[in-house]
Amino acid sequence: MIRDIGYLKILKTGPGTSVQDSGRTGVAFYGVPISGALDQRSCGWANHLLQNQKGDAALEICQPGLKIQFDSPTLICLAGAKAEVKFNGNSISSYGLIEIQAYDQLEIGAFHEGSVLYLAIKNGFQSEQVLGSRSWMEGITANIYSKKGDQIPFFSNSETPKYTAAKPRWDFSWTQDMSLEVYPGPEWDLLDLKTQKKIQLNSFSVSSHKNRMAIQLTELLPHSLPEMLTAPVYPGTVQLTSGGKMIVLMKDAQVTGGYPRVLQLSEQAIDQISQKCPSDLIRFELKKP
Amino acid sequence: MKPQFRQISPLICEFEWEDEVSDKLLQQQISLREEIKKEFDSEISEVKMGFKTLSLRLSNSLNFPVIKEWLASVKPEDAQIPLPEKIWQIPVCYSKDTGRDLQSLAEAKNIAIEELIALHSQPLYRLHFYGFLPGFMYLNGLPKSLFTPRKSVPDREVPAGSVAIGGSQTGIYPSSSPGGWHLIGQTPIELFNPKSIIPVFAEVGERIEFTPISSQDFERLKRHPQQPNFR
Repeated sequence: MIRDIGYLKILKTGPGTSVQDSGRTGVAFYGVPISGALDQRSCGWANHLLQNQKGDAALEICQPGLKIQFDSPTLICLAGAKAEVKFNGNSISSYGLIEIQAYDQLEIGAFHEGSVLYLAIKNGFQSEQVLGSRSWMEGITANIYSKKGDQIPFFSNSETPKYTAAKPRWDFSWTQDMSLEVYPGPEWDLLDLKTQKKIQLNSFSVSSHKNRMAIQLTELLPHSLPEMLTAPVYPGTVQLTSGGKMIVLMKDAQVTGGYPRVLQLSEQAIDQISQKCPSDLIRFELKKP
Repeated sequence: MKPQFRQISPLICEFEWEDEVSDKLLQQQISLREEIKKEFDSEISEVKMGFKTLSLRLSNSLNFPVIKEWLASVKPEDAQIPLPEKIWQIPVCYSKDTGRDLQSLAEAKNIAIEELIALHSQPLYRLHFYGFLPGFMYLNGLPKSLFTPRKSVPDREVPAGSVAIGGSQTGIYPSSSPGGWHLIGQTPIELFNPKSIIPVFAEVGERIEFTPISSQDFERLKRHPQQPNFR
């Protein structure tokens, strides 16, 4: 295969579109967040359908209003949120493989279900690799979020792409499940029994404070835990602030924190909550590790 | 000084010590980290440290039983690795222009600005771990007389290189960020370089000292950035 460089050009963008892969592992020791796709399951599935490597870089789209153009042929795959998608002006499904010819345009409109959509491309996007990852991150990569006029490189197929007519099914219902698998965090045992019960029995709603760093829950949980000495945190760690706010850390979160760490989401639960929208309800299902 | 071991998720586990933060505790944390790295380097995807914690994230949950078995057999309290001797000299321009809270902090402490600078630049600070921002060093060793509660309303933007005091800690902001600490000066050196395989200059366990410089030197070093010296 001839590996010519092609470019995806951003014609228009809403906030919150970035290049993400499986993340920057092994550098948390220097204070570098892991980053990477919020919903690894959907991103991984799109890469799988393209027969890419699991960790190849894709475009993560978190808001409607994106319009892009490809300057050369390739094959792309969409997976994740269900959204209005127009291909050269015609409505198409927001899931599955799409053959791309030079100058094809794609537009992402309103989201109907879920909140993160992935656009993966044959062999992955080839934007700069910093500290072992292409994931965009403030202070690490030159780009943080896409802007109008940005050109993101990929390897173009010089001949027309071919793929089988088979349309693999993708079950997105797991993201709608309100119950999230969690484990007791390091400071769980310091909570009194009443608060522990509340966390397990009540449902909580996702607030509008939601980004790549963290998702804040709406309901407050009064408690008497003291702040603690700075300790390690991970994506999926649920912090309980002194004011009783519950904060679910996501992929761009700091590597350490000073708030009690009451819960830890499973990997699957991180994918799940990243697809939740503000005011969606969640419930914590406590498991033993 | 035996740490408590806790498995948190199928991939994450943590050691926690009950002892006070000290060089001796840090020595144990580093020794245990080195042992684990020697034994299971390819099975561990992240090692993180806090003041009293050492945390591991595995690349695959299937490795947990073996690692747990091994962990039960080690005695971190027997750690013998001495802490490194290296001392990094961080040039700091302490002034009202480079540290907007220098004067108010001196007034609050009822001391002269010169005295505050002397108090801050005399001790050697021990680097315990990195966190908060890429390249942000958690340092131990701030004199008690300089302990200051964090600002009740954090600043929207703290300039990169700011040297600051918050609570019982002092630190340097490697990049500009919101922050609630009191700014007393600024260093012209670069603390974090993502283009380098090891993006920081100082190793955990090494020491830092702040050396006061003039504003002329600050401007000059800012134009010609260089790595800090060590002794």
